[in-house]
Amino acid sequence: MKWATRVGVHVDRAACAWLIRRFVDPDAGFVFVRDPAEVPADATPFDMRGVPLSHHHGRCSFETALQHFELTSDPALEEIAHIIHEADLGDERFNAPVAAGLDVIIRGLTLTSSGDDATLVVTDQLFDGLYEHIRQSLLSGRPPA
Amino acid sequence: MVRDDQWVLLAYRLPRIPSTPRSAIWRRLRRLGVAQLADGLVALPADARTREALEWVAEEVVDAHGEAMVWLGRPADMAGSAALAHRMTAAIAAEYEAVAADAATAQNSDGTTRRRVTARLRRQLQRIEGRDFFSPPERDAARVAVEDLAANVVAGVSS
Repeated sequence: MKWATRVGVHVDRAACAWLIRRFVDPDAGFVFVRDPAEVPADATPFDMRGVPLSHHHGRCSFETALQHFELTSDPALEEIAHIIHEADLGDERFNAPVAAGLDVIIRGLTLTSSGDDATLVVTDQLFDGLYEHIRQSLLSGRPPA
Repeated sequence: MVRDDQWVLLAYRLPRIPSTPRSAIWRRLRRLGVAQLADGLVALPADARTREALEWVAEEVVDAHGEAMVWLGRPADMAGSAALAHRMTAAIAAEYEAVAADAATAQNSDGTTRRRVTARLRRQLQRIEGRDFFSPPERDAARVAVEDLAANVVAGVSS
């Protein structure tokens, strides 16, 4: 399937792309547009104004996507959602100290990355690692050594 | 951070009732550090981040059955723009001064209080820096005051 989002991906879009590829559509292809009007007819848009898979009712797009794809029963994804919410919105709704670091790392990455596809290659790995770290923490009750 | 004199503006209108979304949206705007230009019109120095932040607030306004539109613009007169920047800088400088004053006061309290106040003021500084677009000298003064307090906390623990 084809998915579309705005160019210059940052933490929320990178996390959504990872979620889509890892849990929804392994063959996902992403296109990056400057304006909602440029979204191809056969693509599903996310993290853009005026589309369902986006910020709604105080939630960031990743939180909306978890609900939309019925992935809320995975506690590790819930935890990542809290981190993305704080990295993106910073409204202190959740206690997610990791958020500040993740925000800086991805912001820095976008400064040196050759483009959005290249950014996602790295952020996919980051989120794989983050997911595994949280999953193991939840299983054993303490962070993995 | 403010490269050219471009501003991003959010013009919005929300139903008076219910009042909960109104206050939630106002809290979000305050956290972003907006300057209020008129009732339902706020501004921030434009960059990719502030523009996106106001677009999301606009989306929240629409979700709450209001109307919202994000604009990019430049004040027609330089003086007006400078006055706006000056007003925002003065407000943020006052917040930094309050942090520095709290840190100075806490230097005279006991170790437990100093530790607690250090943690609180570091969080507070982070919040203020998140809505600071002009980096006034008071920022560095506040950082130094809080880190002086932190150094005192560490010294107190080891002695």
